[in-house]
Amino acid sequence: MIDYQPLIAHFKESPLLIQVAWGASCVLVTAIILLSIYLKIMRFHLRKKEKENAQFKNEYEASLIEYLYSGDTEGEMNATQKSIIQKIKVSVPIKAKRKIIISVLYNLMNEVSGEMSDSIKLLYYKTGLIHYALERLENKRWHIIAKGIGELTRFKIDEVHHKVSKFVNHPRSEVRKETQLYLVSLFRFEGLSFLNNLTTPLSEWAQIQLLETLQKFDDQQICDIRPWLKSKNDSVVLFALKLAQIYNQFEVQDTLMELLSHPKKQIRITAIQVLTHLYGIEAKELLKANFNDLSLEEQICFFGMLEKLVMPTDEPFVEKYLFHKNFEIQLLALKILKSINIDKYMGLSQTATTEKDSSMIKLVNSL
Amino acid sequence: MDTSTVKVILQILHYLFFGYAFLAIVSYIILSVISGKETLEYLKKNSFVHYKDILSSAMSPSITIIAPAYNESLNVVENVRSLLSNHYVNYNVIIVNDGSKDDSLERLIEAYDLEKIDYIVNDKIKTKPLRAGVFKSKNPAFEKLMVVDKENGGKADALNMGLNISKSKYVACIDVDCLLLEDALQKMIKPFLDETDTRVIAAGGVIRIANSCIIQGGKLIDVNLPKNLLVQSQILEYLRAFLLGRMAWSRLNGLLVISGAFGIFDKEIAIAVGGYDTNTVGEDMEIIVRMRRYMEEKNEKYRVSYIPDPLCWTEAPDSYKIFISQRNRWTRGTIETLKKHRKIGFNPKYGTFGMLSYPYWLIFERMAPIIEVIGLLYFAILVILQEVKWEYALSFLVLSYVFSVLFSIIAIYSEELTFHQYKKKGTGFKLVLLSALEPFLLHPFILYAAIRGNFDYFFNKKKKWGNMVRKGLAST
Repeated sequence: MIDYQPLIAHFKESPLLIQVAWGASCVLVTAIILLSIYLKIMRFHLRKKEKENAQFKNEYEASLIEYLYSGDTEGEMNATQKSIIQKIKVSVPIKAKRKIIISVLYNLMNEVSGEMSDSIKLLYYKTGLIHYALERLENKRWHIIAKGIGELTRFKIDEVHHKVSKFVNHPRSEVRKETQLYLVSLFRFEGLSFLNNLTTPLSEWAQIQLLETLQKFDDQQICDIRPWLKSKNDSVVLFALKLAQIYNQFEVQDTLMELLSHPKKQIRITAIQVLTHLYGIEAKELLKANFNDLSLEEQICFFGMLEKLVMPTDEPFVEKYLFHKNFEIQLLALKILKSINIDKYMGLSQTATTEKDSSMIKLVNSL
Repeated sequence: MDTSTVKVILQILHYLFFGYAFLAIVSYIILSVISGKETLEYLKKNSFVHYKDILSSAMSPSITIIAPAYNESLNVVENVRSLLSNHYVNYNVIIVNDGSKDDSLERLIEAYDLEKIDYIVNDKIKTKPLRAGVFKSKNPAFEKLMVVDKENGGKADALNMGLNISKSKYVACIDVDCLLLEDALQKMIKPFLDETDTRVIAAGGVIRIANSCIIQGGKLIDVNLPKNLLVQSQILEYLRAFLLGRMAWSRLNGLLVISGAFGIFDKEIAIAVGGYDTNTVGEDMEIIVRMRRYMEEKNEKYRVSYIPDPLCWTEAPDSYKIFISQRNRWTRGTIETLKKHRKIGFNPKYGTFGMLSYPYWLIFERMAPIIEVIGLLYFAILVILQEVKWEYALSFLVLSYVFSVLFSIIAIYSEELTFHQYKKKGTGFKLVLLSALEPFLLHPFILYAAIRGNFDYFFNKKKKWGNMVRKGLAST
C-alpha cells in the first residue's frame, strides 16, 4: 500500500502559494473529471432526445393529418377528431412535446388554407395550446413574451388583440417587432395604425418583414399613408416611402415633394427614388433647378431619375455633366445623351480628353 | 553585480512572469463568461426570427460575394457552384481570378458558359489592371455570376477589384474554397438591418473546419471529426477562439479581426477607407482596424458584429509544414497591423478600441509568444544556475496545464449546448482526450510559427504569403 503520509506532511509544510496552486489544481482536475462524465451523459441524452423527438414528430404529424382529413363538410367534429384532440391534450402539458406539436401544427398551417386552417385554429384552442401562449404573455422574460406573440401570430389568434397590442411600446425591440408583426399579419393595413404613435425606431429588418407580410394578402387596398410620410419618426417616414413605392401611391406626390427638403439625407435620397418610380416630372424640374445644392449621393440619384424621365429639353443640362469627375454621374450623363441625341453622342469621341473618357464612351456605345 | 542584486532582479522577473500569466488567465475567464452571455442572448434573440421572409424578399439589401481565386483550377468549378446555391434572393457572385497561372479561367468559361463583356471598372481603389477582362454567363441559370480576370496582385488586390465592381450595398468577402451554408447570407446580414441608431460596418461568423466532412454538390451533408490529430487540435482551437473569445469581443464592441475566410462589410465604409491594404499579409485584420479607426475619427456610432452560427466551413492545414506557414503569416499580419495603427493603442480618444482591444491584442496576442520564449529561456538559465525552486515550478506548471484542459472542455460544452455539430457517438470522448493532448500537439508549433513570424517580419522582409496547399473540400 502507498503511504501518502510523507506527501501530506510535505504539502502542509509547503509555502501558502504552493498549497493554493496544488489546491486549485485538485479542484480543476475534479471539475475536469466531473465535466467529462457529465459530457458523456449529456451527449447520450441529446442523441436520445433527438431520436425521441423525431419519433414524436412522425406520430403527431400522422395524427394531425388524420384530424384534418377526417373532418366532415358541416364543420362538426367527429369521434376520430375528438379522440385525436384528447390524445394531443395529454401531451400538451409536457414542454418538449408541446414544442413538437406546435412546430408540426405550424408547418401544416403553412401548407393549408381556408377550412383546414380554421380546423387547425380550432385544434389549437381545444387542446389548450392557446393557454400556454397566453401564459407566455404574462412572463417577465422578454424572449418568452416574444415567442408567445410569435405563436399567436402564426396561428392567427386575433381574438387576443387587446392582450398583445399593449406590447407595442415594449422596451425590447424584439417584443415590439413581434407585436408589430402580429398586428399586421392579422389586421393587414389596419394593423399599421401602430405607426401613428410609434416613438421608437423601426429597424430595416422589421420594415422588410412588415412589407413582406403585407404583400401576402390578396386585398391590396392601402390606407392613407400621408400622416406617416409626415411623421417625426424618421424610420416611419422611410417605411412609408417604401409603401408609396410598392403600392404606387401617385396621390401622395405632393407630400413626397415636401420630403425633398427633409433634414435627413437618407429620406431625401429615398424620396427621389420613389418619385422616380412614380414619374414625378415636377420633382425632376425642381431638383434640376437646385442641382448644385444637392449632396453627391442626391446628385447621383437625380441622374438616375433623369435617365428614366428625360426629355429633349434636358439636353443642355446633361451636356454639362458629360465629363463629370464622378464615375456614376458621368456614366449616366453619357447614357442619357445617347438616348436623346445619338448624333451628338457619336461626335463626343473627338472631344474626349482622357483615355478613360474615350473608354467610357466605348462602353456606353456597347450598351 | 553582487549576489543580492541578482536575487532582486530574479525576484522582479518572477513577479513579472507570474503577473502576466495571472492576467492572461483572468482575461480568458472574463472573456469566456462574457462570451457565454452573448451567445445565450444571441440564441434567445434568434429563437423566433423569421429568416424566410428576408430570404424571399426583393426588398432585402443586395449583397455581392467576392471570392478571389489564384491557381484554384482543381476545385474552382465546384466551389463556385456552392457559392451560387445560396438561398438569399438579392445577391450576386464575383470571382476574381487573380492572374492564375493554371487553367482556372478556361475551366470557369467552359463550366458556366461565360462570354466576355465590355466593362469599365470604376477604380475607386487602385488595383492591378484587368487581364482577359470581365465575363458573364450566357446561361440565365448563372446570371448571378461574374468572373473577373486580372493581373496578379495578391488577395487584397483581388478583393479591391471586387469592391470596385460590386454594385451592392454590402459585400461578403470569402475564400473561394470555403463552403458557405445556404442560409449564411441572411443570417449574416441581420445585424446590419437590426441596428437602428448604430451603423454596423462589418460582421463576421464562426469558421468551422470541414476536413473529413461529407460535402456533396456544394452542400454540407455530414460533419465528422477528422482522424488527423493536427486537424483535430485545430478544431478544438477554433472552438475556443470563436465561441469563448470573439463572441465576448463582439459584446464589448472590441473586435479587431473578422476572418478573411468569411466576412460581410458595409461597402461604402470599406471603400471610404481605401479598401484592403495590399502591403500587408494580414489584410483581414488590417481593414477592420482601419474601418474602426475611420468611424472613431468621424465620431460616428458603429459596431463590428459577430454571430456564432456555424455558417462557413473551411479546410484546415493537415501538415505541420503548411500549418506553420499559415500561422507565421497570421503573426506577421498582426505585427504589421498593430504597428501601422500604433496611434490607437492606449489612446483614450479611441474609447474601448484604443484602451481595451488594442492593448489586449498587443499584450496577449502580439507579445505572448515572445514573453513565452523569454520565459522558457529564463527557466533554462535558472536550471543551469540551479536556481529553480522546483516546488513552485511544478505546482504552477500543473496548474496552468490543468487550466488549459478545463478551458478547452468548457469550449466543448459551449459547442454542445449551442450548435451541437459533432453528434456522432464517441466524438465527445475524443474531444475531451484531445483537450489533454492539444497543449503538446499544437501549442509548441503555434509558438514556433509565431517566433518564425517575428523573425521573418524583422529579418526577412521579402517573405509574403507563403504556400497554403489545399486538397479541396470537394474531395473530403
